[in-house]
Parts: sequence; C-alpha cells; structure tokens
Amino acid sequence: MNRADDTLAVEIWKGGTDGRLAAFEVPLRANQTVLDVVTWVQRHRDPALAYRFACRVGMCGSCAMTVNGKPRWTCRTHVAKVAVERHLTIEPLRNLPVIKDLACDMTVFFEKWQAARGRFEGRTTRHDEVVQLAPDTPARVAIDAGIECINCAVCYAACDVVAWKPDYLGPAALNRAWTLQNDTRDAGQEARLAAVAGDAGCHNCHSLQGCVAHCPKALNPTAAIAGLKRAVFRAALSGDL
Amino acid sequence: MLYRYDTDILILGSGGAGLFAALHACQTNPDLRVTVAVKGLIGKSGCTRMVQGGYNVALLPGDSVERHFMDTIVGGKWLPNQALAWRLCTTAVERVRELENEIGCFFDRKPDGTLHGKAFAGQSFDRTVHKGDLTGIEIINRLMEQVWARPVERLEEHRALALIPTADGAALAGVLLVDMRAGAFRFVRAKAVLLATGGGPTMYRYHTPSGDKSMDGLAMALRLGLPLRDMEMVQFHPTGLLAGAETRMTGTVLEEGLRGAGGYLLDGERRRFMLDYDPQGERATRDVVSRAMYAEMRKGKTTENGGLFIQMNHLGPDKVRRAFKGMVERCADCGFDLAGGLVEVVPTAHYFMGGLVCDSDTRTALPGLFVAGEDAGGMHGANRLGGNGVANSTVFGGIAGEVMAEAAARDSLRDPDEALIEAEVARANHPFGRPAGDLNVLRERLLDVMWEDVGVMRTAEGLGRGIARLSELNAELLQTGLADQDRVFNLTWHDWLNLRSLIEVGEVIARAALARENSRGAHFREDFPEPGDLEGSSFTQARRRDGTLAVEQMPVEFTIVKPGDSLIEGDAGAPAAVMPT
Repeated sequence: MNRADDTLAVEIWKGGTDGRLAAFEVPLRANQTVLDVVTWVQRHRDPALAYRFACRVGMCGSCAMTVNGKPRWTCRTHVAKVAVERHLTIEPLRNLPVIKDLACDMTVFFEKWQAARGRFEGRTTRHDEVVQLAPDTPARVAIDAGIECINCAVCYAACDVVAWKPDYLGPAALNRAWTLQNDTRDAGQEARLAAVAGDAGCHNCHSLQGCVAHCPKALNPTAAIAGLKRAVFRAALSGDL
Repeated sequence: MLYRYDTDILILGSGGAGLFAALHACQTNPDLRVTVAVKGLIGKSGCTRMVQGGYNVALLPGDSVERHFMDTIVGGKWLPNQALAWRLCTTAVERVRELENEIGCFFDRKPDGTLHGKAFAGQSFDRTVHKGDLTGIEIINRLMEQVWARPVERLEEHRALALIPTADGAALAGVLLVDMRAGAFRFVRAKAVLLATGGGPTMYRYHTPSGDKSMDGLAMALRLGLPLRDMEMVQFHPTGLLAGAETRMTGTVLEEGLRGAGGYLLDGERRRFMLDYDPQGERATRDVVSRAMYAEMRKGKTTENGGLFIQMNHLGPDKVRRAFKGMVERCADCGFDLAGGLVEVVPTAHYFMGGLVCDSDTRTALPGLFVAGEDAGGMHGANRLGGNGVANSTVFGGIAGEVMAEAAARDSLRDPDEALIEAEVARANHPFGRPAGDLNVLRERLLDVMWEDVGVMRTAEGLGRGIARLSELNAELLQTGLADQDRVFNLTWHDWLNLRSLIEVGEVIARAALARENSRGAHFREDFPEPGDLEGSSFTQARRRDGTLAVEQMPVEFTIVKPGDSLIEGDAGAPAAVMPT
C-alpha cells in the first residue's frame, strides 16, 4: 500500500482479550509521542477507543502500553524513537486482564504489591519528631536506587516469569519490598521477608532482566530481588524464617 | 439503568486530599464503610502526584508557624481566609511528621541527617521539604500503599456527575456517578461526602495539570448553588513546554529552578527581555514573569510556534544536566535539548486558587458535604506559594477524614431528591442521539477564548467578549452529539462532559475577573493595574441562583493580622528573609 510521506501507519488493539488489530493512518508530526498518536485516533477516527492516561509527563504511570512488541510509557516515548519504517503497533500491556482496547485492569498488580507487604509500618507517630537519619548509608543508597518507581507495570508486563506463573508477585512489588527491608524506620521486616520468601515470591525470579531492560525509570528490580533472595537465605540459615 | 449503593463516607478524588481523608476516616472509626471514587485509578490521577518542588512546613530550626503564616498571607496579597491559612500552617507540622513516621515518606536530608529545606520564591525562610524534584511521587506512592492496605472500597474510573441533596435541599444525600468502564449510572448514598476532585484550570490554551482534570467538582458545587470564592485567581507558571499542536506535552511545566539557577528567557530573535520588565530579570516572581512573557508574545516577538525560548547552556551543559536531570531527560524524551540548546516555552495555567467556601474543619454550607484540596477556596488568596499546594491538600484531606468520621457516626443516610437524579442523568445523556459534531473544534476554541480573553492580562472589554464567546460555545456544545453511541469506556463522551464543566467554570472565572476592578497576585487587569487599598480588601464570591450567576464582593476579615502588622516581632508586613540556622 502506498502511503504519504507525512503519515504513520498505526495498528491499534480493539476489543478485549479476544480482540483484533485495527489499522489507522495518522499524520506524522515533528513532536509526537505514542500517547499523542493514540489520542489523535480517538479524537479524529475512533471516538470510542479506550485508553488510560493522566499526567502526560511520566509521573503517574497510567499510560503504559505495548508498542511494537515492547512495554513502554507512552507519554514519554517519542514516535521517532520507536516507529519502524513509519509503522507502529499499539497493544495493551501483557500479563494483565484487558478491560477494553488499550486499557488494562491493574488491580492484580496492586494486590501483589500488598501481598509483598509493600507498605511502611512505622514505629513512631505524627506526635514524634522526624527521625534524624544520615542520607548516605549503604541501606539508604539501596533504597534510593529503587524508590522512584511510578508503578506503571511496564516491568510486570515485561516479565516472562509472570507470564509463565501468574501467581508470581513480580518485579515491582518485590522491588518495593526490598526498599522497605532497607528502611531502618520500618517495623514490618520479619513478616515481609516471610511474604516474599513464599511460593509466589522472590525465588521465582530467573534474572531474565526483562524488567531492567524496560523500566522507563532505569531502575533495577532484578538487583532488588537478588537482595531479597540473599536476605531470605541468611534468615533461613539463622533459623529466623 | 441506575445502580444504587450505600456507604458511610464517600470521597471523590484520590490525590493528596482524597487519600488522606480515606486514611484518617479509617483511623478515626474503623467500623465505618469508606469509599473512594475516582475518575482514573487510585493514586494515579490528580495533581499531588505531579508535585515537583516540595512541601512548606515550619519544622526547621529558626523557622516558626507564624513566619510560614505571614509568608502565606503576604504572598496571597492579604486575601486569604486567615483561619484557613493558620490551620494550614499549624497542621502542616503534624502532617509532615505523619508522612515520615507513619506513612513512610523519606524526605531529603542534610548530611547530618536532619531534614533539608529548599529555598522557594516568595518565602522568608528555606522551609520547603522535598524528595529531590519528585516530591509528589514519594508522597502519593506511600499514601496509596497505606490506603490499599485498608478495607477502603474503590470505585475506580467512576466519574462524579452531580451532588444530590435531599428533596428539601437541607442536606446532601449522595452523589450520582457514571461507571466509565461499564458506561452505567450509579447513585451512591453517603452520610458524608468529600469533594476532592482537584481544580485544574485545563480550559486554557496552555496548562500544566493532569489531563483528567476538568473542574468537575466546582461545576457540581456551582449547580447546587453553593458559594465559590476567589474564582478569578488562576496561577500561571512562566515556563510551560511548547511542543506544537496536537501533543499532550505542550503546556507541561519546566520547573521553577531553571530560572532560579540563572536560565535566560529569550524572544524569537534570541534577545533577553526580562530585564526590560523587572530588575530581578528571570528571577522575578511567577506572575511578573508570566505577564512579561505574555506581553512579548502579544507584540509578536515569538518563535515560529508562537512561544519564547529558555536558554540554559550558558551555565554549562554538563552542569545543567547534573542539576536538572529530570527536566533534561523529560525534554530529551520529547525531542528537545534543554542542557545544550534552546527550548520553546510559554506561560501555562498551573493552579486554581479559587474554590468552594468552607470553614477550617472542611465543612461547607451544605450539611453532609465537605471539601479539601484544590476544590476548596480561601487558603491561598490571590496567589499560592510554591510548596503550599501539597500542604493544603494533605492537611485538609486529613482533617476532612476525621471530621467526616465523626459526622458519619452521628448521622443517618438521607433520601435523595429523585427528580434531580433523573434530571442529572438526562443532563449526562444529553449528547447521545444528537447529530455528531467535532468536539475538537469546540475544545480548541475554548482554549483560545480563555487564553485570549480571560488569561494572563485582562480588561473589561476582553472579559465581556470572553463571556459572550463562552456562551456561544456552550450553546454549540449542547447541539453537538457523539459519533459513537457506545457507553463503555467511551472517552469522547467524557471529553464532552469535561468540556461542559470547563465552559461552566470558565464563565465563573470571567465573571469574577470582571468584578475585581484591581490587580492582585495572579489577577491582573490592564484597565485597573493597581492593587487597591489593602485594609479595605474584599474577595469575590460567586454563586448561581435560579439560573443566574451573581458575584458579590465580600470584605476580608483580618482575624489574626491586619495589613501593616505582623505576627513576627519587629517586622511589619512582609517578613524579612532569614537564613536557616
């Protein structure tokens, strides 16, 4: 098919899990993200196209989709970076139930975050002073390496282990658990270590590093999971687990 | 089909205000059913998450609540409700401790392990605690984990359509929502409802807030006849990214620190212009810089795309890359070289100071309805200090949770005005079955009307024209139907509803701006450029009664401090800057 030089050939997933790809021609622009392409299609070609976005600038983690086969944050993915011969295929994220078109149900992702006890358990209260704590200890450095996660589920979609074993907690939840295991203010570490040591936990990770390759924030969940594995091993040796 | 659902506490919105309300309601009374309804996903929509700068709190040695309060009042040009501002400044201390000790945030430390406060424009003390330049992500991520861990009922992708009172109008009975995924209507009865949908002036050509923001909260309050104050007060940020048409990147904010660090603003011919307007140049306050930029743009001294340039490379590209990593990366993703090249910028609508009138316990004039965050008015007056936005949402959200839990334990569920539910369902259904039209054209026109006639610089003539154009737009919107009648996750239906709210609130902004015949803070009238007498300050209060919008001038009550005085010994008016100890 001949196509004008100033257009992009776009295929977009339509429907639920049993949906199909629909083809659109979208005007190419100098500054254009994948989210802009999806928006253009909704505004000008397919008004009931479902997708999700909020902040537009890589902070909320709502707009992740599969773009030419790879999970990405679409608001900060420039078309020029990903289009192959002016062609894009845009599908919903893998490993999550599809609600409609490009929008997934992220509930299970957040349930696993909780199953990994991904929440702080404080020892002090709002009536106490803020703890004086040096920012450059090895534990704090380990937290800093993983704390900027925006829970976009790109790593979860990239993870082959999640695809094989749907119960697996996945990279994001375990990454969060590791940051908490390093937080000296946290009182929930024993229970959390038990939670991530279970059948669905850190030992499922085969270090395939799909999460590392695709994290838009350049975090390294594989290293965090390796940290958890060592902690579980040490606890088992000392009879604490 | 209308689904019905009962709960004790219903919270609309899941930014800092909504999530804190849910948490505190659960803590105050674990036996209550607490439900959060949000247009997107829990914790992912809303603007608290987008906070870059930080959180103002008088927690560091040498600072005081009195000083924070004085900065807030002076920054707000003496218009804030002083009881609200005082509650904000005092409770911020407890809230930051809670965020650290109970919620699990870890704000940046000095090498000795004590909290680091950053300098922010318009403040006499470096009190802004922060997590790098991504403070909002830390706050909301930690907060949403706490909410997910509790038995809070979640109505995600549920859009609130109308606040429904009892048939006699004496109290709120519940909220009509649409389940966006199913396209079905749902009426939720609740003993207490929190309006925390966030403001977000996204009706301007250039705007920073999250794309889901469309002033639905204030539009709903307006339709119920509740009083809205300071509606003319729209804060513009000087450096919004200009990336061209049809990209959602346009308007997003490039942080304040770029100007603070010595960045230059250049016109289309690459000439520095800020010193023509203010001796502080690019480091002048947001409102001054935004007006100067707007004036240059109006003179036609623009870039090809109609904006101006920001230049950082004279500071050394490597240094810029290190100091502004997040901003440089974001620009690079969009195809721009912030560290080494020029990036096009425009002033961009950032924050809405106006909102629903409330008391310092978040109560509104209608029993059963509470308000917090950007939907509430009066904390900031004519201008919000950077760092007071997230303080506002988290402080008053938490208070609302506690106050609503007490109300819900005392009150019973109330029966709604069924006729109003029916009318509001019909209102939401309006575009179905009408001839399809082009909403994009209407949206583009709305953005232009607000930008040109109700924007950075205003005149009576322009505002009058703006009101007329908004009225035409509204009439055209009501004639415009949907091309696809599917109700399931139909974003174009929601675009239509967004436009309706934005036009409705846009008119209130224009009418309040017309009523204020002076220039204070964010509001600038070219035909009335003076600030007016401070002692005789008044704020605008708009409400709709019997289909007519009326704007009144209400005198500011200086209940704590009056112009010329100060709570700080030896000071008068604006506090003198102090160096942190």
